[in-house]
Amino acid sequence: MTLSLNSERAVVALILLLLSIALFVTASRFPASDMGSAFDPGFFPRIVLGALIALAALNLLTDLRSGTGWALEGLRSVLVMMALLVVYVKVMPDLGFFAASVVLSVAFLLLLGVRSPLGIAVVALGVPGALVALFNHILTMPLPTSPLFWWI
Amino acid sequence: MLDLLPQALSLIFTVEGLLVLTFGTMLGIVLGALPGIGSTVAVAMILPFTLTMSQAPAILLLLAIYAGSVYGGSISAILINTPGTPQSAATCFDGYPMALRGEAGKALGWATMASVVGGLASSVVLILAAPQLAAFALNFGPIETFALIVLGLTCIVSVSEGSLIKGLIAGVLGLFLSVVGGDPLTGEPRFTFGSFQLIAGFDLLAVVIGVFALSEVLLRASQRDEANVALIDFRGIVLPKLGEWRGRIGGLLKSVAIGNVIGIMPGTGAATAAFISYAEARRSAPTRANFGKGEPDGLIASESANNAVTGGALVPTLALGIPGDAITAVMLATLTLHGVTPGIRLMQDNPILIAAIFTGFFVVNLMLLPLGMLVSRVAAPLLRLREAYMLVVITLLCTLGVFFVRGNPFDLLVMAAAGVIGFVLRRQGYPMAPLVIGMVLGPTLEISLRQGLIITNGSFVQFFTHHPIAVALILAAAAMLLLPLVRAIRARQG
Repeated sequence: MTLSLNSERAVVALILLLLSIALFVTASRFPASDMGSAFDPGFFPRIVLGALIALAALNLLTDLRSGTGWALEGLRSVLVMMALLVVYVKVMPDLGFFAASVVLSVAFLLLLGVRSPLGIAVVALGVPGALVALFNHILTMPLPTSPLFWWI
Repeated sequence: MLDLLPQALSLIFTVEGLLVLTFGTMLGIVLGALPGIGSTVAVAMILPFTLTMSQAPAILLLLAIYAGSVYGGSISAILINTPGTPQSAATCFDGYPMALRGEAGKALGWATMASVVGGLASSVVLILAAPQLAAFALNFGPIETFALIVLGLTCIVSVSEGSLIKGLIAGVLGLFLSVVGGDPLTGEPRFTFGSFQLIAGFDLLAVVIGVFALSEVLLRASQRDEANVALIDFRGIVLPKLGEWRGRIGGLLKSVAIGNVIGIMPGTGAATAAFISYAEARRSAPTRANFGKGEPDGLIASESANNAVTGGALVPTLALGIPGDAITAVMLATLTLHGVTPGIRLMQDNPILIAAIFTGFFVVNLMLLPLGMLVSRVAAPLLRLREAYMLVVITLLCTLGVFFVRGNPFDLLVMAAAGVIGFVLRRQGYPMAPLVIGMVLGPTLEISLRQGLIITNGSFVQFFTHHPIAVALILAAAAMLLLPLVRAIRARQG
């Protein structure tokens, strides 16, 4: 990936601008009230989004002018971590906290460069295990369980 | 407030109260010492665990973690030259050189004493100033409240790190997030796009944990630096003798005053206070030639100022419902979760809770001395822990915490999305504190604006001209926004 931070910054600024315009258009379609602006559900959001459009446009201009930046190199593992995080929170309620957390911990530790099998085993099994013990048995606030680990 | 002292003490001096204060302070010191966690993440991570507690112990636990973590940052600053929290960055300048010449215990002794004095002084300022400010604010109607929140938001944005425009965008994004869900007056769904889950809006805690804690995990992962930590030989804190304070009391008091004043201003924070105080001490202290080489005056300046900020930041939070920084924004969220409505009537409506907070905060700062001496020896070896392990622990605790608040899997998705978006925005220099504060203040801002327009029959002219306090506050807000522009123009001319 050769995109510089400067380009990345401009892309983020452009997305912010387009998003705020789209949301403003959505807000302008809210049903209007005939009792005045105070009773209009879109009144406050339109003020907020109007300000956001102005600021995002100014921001885009500023970011296009600035010249410094560093490369997007080395972000591959972070992108994988982001994807894993989204999958983890999606499956955790069904798969159970313990099983999902062990898998996530092993994956995160490997992505973060940990290669010690003992370290990985202790953290990946120990931390979720300790949290399950704390919540299920001490605080008596049961965590989501799975068919595999219902006995924990 | 003094008449409520017996009731406040009866809340604190219970087994639960004392356990909460002791455990919270100790945990705060450890979490503050571990680089990468920081006060905001520490408070946000522990917040969900307070849901099983009643109001007073829950808030006291978070206050103890707040004060403890600000002090705890000095341990790693002195022992490994890496500040555990940003507010201890200035402590590295003189703390680490002292440690290098074999005086680690002494350096931590100076840092501990300065932190305790700074924290205690800020407790007194909190107790004296907050009720006065709250009493004044009781005269405020919706229009003045609207103007006050606008001023608070602009203060936070104009002094937050990075560019003014990016700070404003973050604040306005926070306001936008607060309008998602049912309209507070008509119930009409806004920006829910047919999702039933969004009718109640975004869960504040899920957003806070996402943009602060999870984005921090991703940022740390992207800037991974696994250099081996060389821990300096440390055999416990050595407190400075009484005679060694000679000639240093004036500097200490000045730093405490700087920390308190900066703490009261919304948005500034402990890191700014520590650097300003350090710079002032380096300019004026008789020992200035030794600054940066292991001079105790430098340590005193940064550590007393950063702890003095803690009480100061609570003044606008408790008196006006305007959080001084991201940490106090999380505390306001805690109050809301415990059924207390933050705002200008907070002190009026919850006098015993507030008296307990004041007293508890004073006790926490007293406890910093013995607990700091005890916990620093335990925390020091933890500094050798690999960062990767800590990042995994933070991720699991965040997930657990968010899931427990409402037991709603949708909140976990919000947290993950906030983490990813927070990571992208922080990489580009958007500060996250204004976003969270905008989200906290958004509902009150909207309601006060719309109520104000009902009072003035929809007239914006009356809204902005018939209320002198509101006009003064709006003018002050405009000045806060113009100030950085004027400074930039002057700098260019200079």
